[in-house]
Amino acid sequence: MPIVRRSVLAQLAAAPVLLAAGRLRAQARAVKVGAVLPFSGGLELFGEQARLGLELAAAEINAKGGILGRPVEILFEDDKTDPKTAVEKASRLVTRDEVVAIFGPITSSNRDAMAPTMARARTPLLYATNYEGGACGRYLFVFNTVPNQELAKLLPYLFKNKGQSFYFFGADYVWPQKMFQHAEKIVAALGGKVLGRELTPFGVKEFAPVIRRIEASGAKVLLFALPGADGITFIRQAEDLGLLKKLTVGFLGFSEAYLGAFGPGKGQDMYVAVPFVASSEATGPREFVARIRARAGRDAVVSHYVMTHWLALTAMARALEKVGRIDREAVVEGLEGLTVEAPTGPVTIGAKDHHVTLAMFLARTQGDQLVTVEALGPIAPESGCA
Amino acid sequence: MLADLALVLLDTANRVLTLLLVALGLAVTFGLMGIVNLAHGEFFLLGAYAHVALERLGLGFWWGLLLAPVFVGAAGWILEVVVIRRIQDRPLDSLVATWGVGLAIKQAVVLLFGPASHTVAPPFATTVAIAGTSYPVYRLFVMALALAATGLTILLLLRTPFGLMVRGTVADRGLAAATGLPVRRLDALAFAYGSALAGLAGAATAPLMSVDPQMGVGFLLPAFLSVLVAPASGAFGTVVGAAVVGGSESLAATVVSPVVAQLLVLAGAVLLLRLAAGRRYGRER
Repeated sequence: MPIVRRSVLAQLAAAPVLLAAGRLRAQARAVKVGAVLPFSGGLELFGEQARLGLELAAAEINAKGGILGRPVEILFEDDKTDPKTAVEKASRLVTRDEVVAIFGPITSSNRDAMAPTMARARTPLLYATNYEGGACGRYLFVFNTVPNQELAKLLPYLFKNKGQSFYFFGADYVWPQKMFQHAEKIVAALGGKVLGRELTPFGVKEFAPVIRRIEASGAKVLLFALPGADGITFIRQAEDLGLLKKLTVGFLGFSEAYLGAFGPGKGQDMYVAVPFVASSEATGPREFVARIRARAGRDAVVSHYVMTHWLALTAMARALEKVGRIDREAVVEGLEGLTVEAPTGPVTIGAKDHHVTLAMFLARTQGDQLVTVEALGPIAPESGCA
Repeated sequence: MLADLALVLLDTANRVLTLLLVALGLAVTFGLMGIVNLAHGEFFLLGAYAHVALERLGLGFWWGLLLAPVFVGAAGWILEVVVIRRIQDRPLDSLVATWGVGLAIKQAVVLLFGPASHTVAPPFATTVAIAGTSYPVYRLFVMALALAATGLTILLLLRTPFGLMVRGTVADRGLAAATGLPVRRLDALAFAYGSALAGLAGAATAPLMSVDPQMGVGFLLPAFLSVLVAPASGAFGTVVGAAVVGGSESLAATVVSPVVAQLLVLAGAVLLLRLAAGRRYGRER
């Protein structure tokens, strides 16, 4: 993006008469993509993570000469964590800016709100957040995990090493509900017991009653799906009231973005399965983290959301190069069945279900880091799409 | 069984007193002065972040707890002078204006501190054995602080010349002004005091939860409910209001899921307001 602006400015300085023509040419040349992400309204943290990944991907694509010789330009829009705004921003990107694809959003409610608009406009939506599955369509691609990819190896590990009785606790919306449905099947197949299953509205600040009930159930593993600040509050209180000494937490949706939120020495030994671990010693992730931090600063948090959004834009560039054409249909044609090299190994996009098979890692919180326990290898998605 | 019951009572008392601490500021600004300040949740938020900032500056926990209310009180004073006094006779406008101020504060916090969660470590991590469990001492401290703040507020309003003047201003503004009371200054001071209480609540409860830009929202509704269902305006009534709202929520949550508990509390509050509203407003007019 800066490159394009600068070239326009250079032309402006050299020959003011050519300004209009120059700008037109620059606009015609750039491959425009949209990004509808939350930069205010509650989920800023994830919006910023996604932005880091997309910007790195764009910079790398442009440094190598762009897509079929044309630079890529990302137009970021703030959806304010609100579905209506997300749809408005998406429509504007599609009609006014004529983007070839849109990246984002973060929440399922925003994605479900945007999907019909995107399908009607025949513009691909490249979604890179872990979610509950079941979002299907020609113009929808998913670059992060669905429930089975997070749970298939996590639950057997916890069952074998931490205990055979489970308690499910999460927020009262679609993602935890679908997660728990899936988890129930896996626990039953393992021969374990689910001693309780409970949901909570957002915004609850006092969890003592729930914590007592979980403790009284005697469960050895708490499968936990309460994202964001409420999740942090629960874990802090569970720690204070002694619950974490009595069981092990499988923290669904955990990522590096949560680190440091529990206070030093708190929130230890919690488990999650993720497609990327920033503290990994392997060459791919190590270099990826270094590339992000070279741009965003030494202390930049790098979670799997950075990697999956980088992956989405990188895959789109490969797809267009493969097809040899730059338009919206070319994105769809190119992405179907494509294999891209990610920092964690090859990622394959399903030709039919538009979801990704990617390497997964079992990780746990230790000290002030999320560390790899075990590389789980590639896991195929059960996307719920034909 | 007895130990279980004691534990439930302990948790409920904790919830009630924490809520009381948050609602106390509203009891002054809303209950007594009649100003609907939708930025109250953000004043609570400011208190918590002031605490975070002061700790970063190297001041310890106790200085943070002491200075955060002063800072938030000053912010309340500015809000009163700049915004609220100009729209005093237009309650609907004050609703929109304070909501806007709340949004601005929240976004300013995001810009200054980032969207991520912060932590304030409690000054003591010790626990004591009560009711067959080890209970964090800091929770007991917050409960004691809530009681102390409530006692002081009652004393301030009922037993000091300042309290008398504030109550006089609320009771009959024209007469109070005619007798030479500085009504505008009293308004600003009383509002600043209510805001400082919100700041104190934020600073004191910060170690119990995630400190993030959205933290004020979760307390705004139950705090307003506590003041609304209170049988009388002022600090005394709010003690009862907080006990009703916080107690029913906490007790309900021990037997049913938090979703149902919240629904029960809201339904109960609606019912209570419907049944009691006539009586209450009838008396006041």
